[in-house]
Amino acid sequence: MATSRRNTSQRLTLVILVLASITLVTLDYRGPVSHELGSVRSTARDAVSPLQRVLADVFRPIGNLFSGAVNYGAAANDNSRLRDEVGELRRVELENESAEQQLQQMLTVERLPYLQNSKSVIAGVISGPPGGSNFELTLEIDRGTSDGVGLGMPVVAGAGLIGEVISAGKTTSLVRLITDPRSAVGVRFQNGTIAIATGQGLDDPLALEQVSASAPVPRKGQLLVTSGLQGAAFPAGIPVGTVSSVKSTGGTFTFPVTMEPVAALSGLQFVAVVQWLPAP
Amino acid sequence: MTLRSWWRLFIVGFAVLILQVGALQQLDIGGAHPDAFLLVAIAAGLVAGPQIGAIVGFVAGLVADLFVVTPFGLSPLSYVLVAFAVGLLASLSGGRAPYSLRIVATFLASVGGTLLYEALALLIGQPHIARGELVNVLVVVSIANAIFAVPATSALGWVFSGPGPGARELSTGGSAVR
Repeated sequence: MATSRRNTSQRLTLVILVLASITLVTLDYRGPVSHELGSVRSTARDAVSPLQRVLADVFRPIGNLFSGAVNYGAAANDNSRLRDEVGELRRVELENESAEQQLQQMLTVERLPYLQNSKSVIAGVISGPPGGSNFELTLEIDRGTSDGVGLGMPVVAGAGLIGEVISAGKTTSLVRLITDPRSAVGVRFQNGTIAIATGQGLDDPLALEQVSASAPVPRKGQLLVTSGLQGAAFPAGIPVGTVSSVKSTGGTFTFPVTMEPVAALSGLQFVAVVQWLPAP
Repeated sequence: MTLRSWWRLFIVGFAVLILQVGALQQLDIGGAHPDAFLLVAIAAGLVAGPQIGAIVGFVAGLVADLFVVTPFGLSPLSYVLVAFAVGLLASLSGGRAPYSLRIVATFLASVGGTLLYEALALLIGQPHIARGELVNVLVVVSIANAIFAVPATSALGWVFSGPGPGARELSTGGSAVR
């Protein structure tokens, strides 16, 4: 009798908790409280961020040690490959000198919009990638709305775009990386062809969708920049990546093309949040 | 659960929160880091049985979801189911489980919990992660949780130990591992 009552109580608890969880998922997805849940999350991150920063400074070297140990084989291969590339780059450097002069002249005339008009906020990386969950590729940065960071602002590091702000608390923000499967960036080839770059995972190249087969075949190494079309999430002209593979297929209307990000997305310590927002 | 258990759970939970967001998230082991919140849910199931395990799993999941961008409620849902299943299996075995059994149970439950989370995420339309990355996550989470299974179950044992109605409830069959 007592066992039966206990079993019933256990099942009832399970059903209530499962229903409560499903209700939360539904509310966050479609309900009117989604914004409030976002605010609660931002507040929670802001609350723990001071302690988190202190601990992050202590544990980051340990994290780097783990990362280095796990990725040693890949690092050795990279080292060998990079040595070959340095030789090649020295040759290319000479050729590029004249091209750079031309580029500088072009920049003076055209001016990339995000460099010309937008200010940026330098932010330190607190944690990530991966983010809070192993199933998302995000960075937590130590700048928030009180520093001028806003939802949807592009984030750049080194050579180009790394992501966008998807949650902004008062003192911290979350940045979704362009390699996250939820990320989609409008990009433009040098010949003007437009495509959408979607994330495939941290170590995987981005997939370029909707590259029309009627467009010129993309070349490996070709640079892609943000398209900046009307209503786009990013300003035009930010370098995003270079073409890493092109498969020529017969009988289809699109090319399967992949792209490697130009900016390093792991081991980041500082990033710049471009204070640019898409037109409403 | 007694008031004292709730207070102790709060202390352990706060320590786990700081450990997870301050330290474990700094680790990038092949693109993954350990999941201490899942470990707490599993340990609660092992120590306190399915009912209390599910409650602790729900609370741990709520806290975990404050620091991610995936839909709110996804972690509680998977943690509740895993903690309940672990608690049910542990209570069937009866008696005090040896350390080796706790470690193996935590390892398997971590694999199950991670796969369940990914499956539920796919079910509600979240994009899937690459197979290689999923394998990395499974390996890192399950091995790390197995390593910390003994201290985690000991900490949860402390939370639910002592006199009071909660303890009596546990002693009548709710608890599986002491």
